Amino acid sequence: MSGFTDRAEAALADPILKIAVERTAGTAEAKRGIAIDAFPDFEAARSRAAAIKDHVIAHLGAYLEQFEANAIAAGAKVHWARTADEACAIVIAICKAEGAKSVARSKSMLGEEIGLPHALAEAGIGRVETDLAEHIIQLADERPSHIIWPAMHKTRDQVSALFKAKHRSPHQEETIAAMAESARRELRTQMLNADVGMSGANFLIADSGAVCTVTNEGNAELSLVPPRVHIVTAGIEKIVPSMPHAIHMLRMLARSATGAALTQYTTFYTGPKRAGDRDGPDAMHIVLVDNGRTKMREEGLAEMLRCIRCGACMNHCVVFRQIGGHAYGGTYPGPMGAVLTPVLDGLAPNRDLIHACTLNGKCQEVCPVRIPLPTLLKGWRDKSWREGLEPTSMRAGLGLWAWIATRPSLYRPVTTIAMRVMRLLGKKGWIASLPLAGGWTRHRDMPRPAAQTFMTQYKKARRP
Amino acid sequence: MSARDAILARLKGPSPDQAEADALLVAPERPAVNEATLEAEFLARLALPSVNASHDVVGSMADLPTAIARYLAGQGEALTLCLPPDPRLTACDWGGFTLHDSAAPDEAAVLAIARRGIAETGSLIFETGPTAPMLPNFLALHHIVLLAVRDIAPHLENAPLTGPQPRAHYWVTGVSGTTDIEGAYVRGAHGPRFLHVILLRN
Ligand code: SF4
Repeated sequence: MSGFTDRAEAALADPILKIAVERTAGTAEAKRGIAIDAFPDFEAARSRAAAIKDHVIAHLGAYLEQFEANAIAAGAKVHWARTADEACAIVIAICKAEGAKSVARSKSMLGEEIGLPHALAEAGIGRVETDLAEHIIQLADERPSHIIWPAMHKTRDQVSALFKAKHRSPHQEETIAAMAESARRELRTQMLNADVGMSGANFLIADSGAVCTVTNEGNAELSLVPPRVHIVTAGIEKIVPSMPHAIHMLRMLARSATGAALTQYTTFYTGPKRAGDRDGPDAMHIVLVDNGRTKMREEGLAEMLRCIRCGACMNHCVVFRQIGGHAYGGTYPGPMGAVLTPVLDGLAPNRDLIHACTLNGKCQEVCPVRIPLPTLLKGWRDKSWREGLEPTSMRAGLGLWAWIATRPSLYRPVTTIAMRVMRLLGKKGWIASLPLAGGWTRHRDMPRPAAQTFMTQYKKARRP
Repeated sequence: MSARDAILARLKGPSPDQAEADALLVAPERPAVNEATLEAEFLARLALPSVNASHDVVGSMADLPTAIARYLAGQGEALTLCLPPDPRLTACDWGGFTLHDSAAPDEAAVLAIARRGIAETGSLIFETGPTAPMLPNFLALHHIVLLAVRDIAPHLENAPLTGPQPRAHYWVTGVSGTTDIEGAYVRGAHGPRFLHVILLRN
């Protein structure tokens, strides 16, 4: 069995995980629904958001150059990285040049994507994750399981045990508020004493050179203002032309992610500390990271570059809600992860991941930038078929089915016999176990087929 | 070839047309705001559970210290305040208060002046500058904000976005909150647990 199948099996067998995923994703789904109902013409707003991103992607080179010029004019240093390794090398070189021993990091999926935590550890630079969920994940030495709620798979008891084992002055009371307070105490001094603050970017503003971060905890600002250096790692697709464009995207992002009108803290940083400023870093570095994005633009995945990492597609995905995020195996879970992971980690090892989708279209319906996720997944499936990555049994099975299906005089008696056999296996309308298809029925029942095939019923109904 | 040149070479294309970029912003979909009742709309959004701010109203700057003393007493806090070196604030009579102009790691309360209040979301818009440090507003438990009624504007697009930009613009729409442990909402995750807005009428 491959990695994904194993992980999905393990996830399906974990009842606590199912409750945790359902609680977070279900609440997010409900809150988004309320926010969207209250918003005037969200459908038009989605089209506008998609058009803004498409405009940027069509002119990406020019907007990146404009951003670079404005960021430099504001005093920032701009770096470019083709790959994850190049990006990490740039970040580590800056840290070393600054003599940095400690880094306070505000949650960034791009940072996870390029393996920044690992690169910092290898370089012997201390890292403190300041988003509460990322802090939990760091203490547990695990990977995020959701792009908005990275620790959604952890129970309060697990968090309590972690904090008691690792915090200097842990909570005494077994309440979630007391646990959060313990993290506040633990993290505050580390943020104030870090040499470098690190963040991603939710948006890069081309006409001002500003970098926008959004958080509900305010941890980005506490991580990025006190240290003497601020390093941003951002995907090149994060550009928007101007602040009003960013405002439209922010309205879409907050509602789609958490159902809020706006995140609690939205900050635009334009260069380092100015003359007379009482706080802020002495230096600001922005690393613009490609890592497969230009390739996506060239090879039919440009629409995926619209993604604003809101998490709505996974919150509404029937597969994600059964297996959670870790089963996907890559940095990004859910439907967007199923499209992105083959770009980042290769198609061959992720062949079964691209099939982990019912193509029900729910993700596309809720995506604030109208990414046709099922179509993009189907594109991967086609590629996998064309490149001969599908297993021989699957190719032979489909070949046989195609051969029979194109011969109606054979297809009809075969399906009639198959249905009769399946009806014998079913009880009270459901089949609990299906020989040769155990994978289907191991975690769910299959509906018992109707007594007659569609064609038989159709012919009967037409008979006068 | 440098990484920059290699990336840009693959992204070559026509320069963006400003008119096309502007056209994407015509009549944006956004929550309606009645400009005739701007202050009431702003206060209604401030009171939403997602923003969860309290408010008070003063008629003039001379009344500000009394309003802050009233708030701190109500919260059971001492009259200790981190006050930024803004002459509009330092000119007030702070008799009875212990003041300091930089925040301690466990600062109880900070006062700051917002450049705008946004009725659409209940957001407060701040800018950094020599008299407006940023860090205290994220460290203190009580974030107290002075906002002139005339600075309330309908939409986020009315934030001061044109002209010379400060090092940082930051928009505050509530307190530091988290739902990271079992989805339970906790206030004061890292920064302020309370947000109190004082509207200045004059
Ligand atoms: S694909 Fe769409 S719904 Fe999913 S995270 Fe990206 S923007 Fe959000």
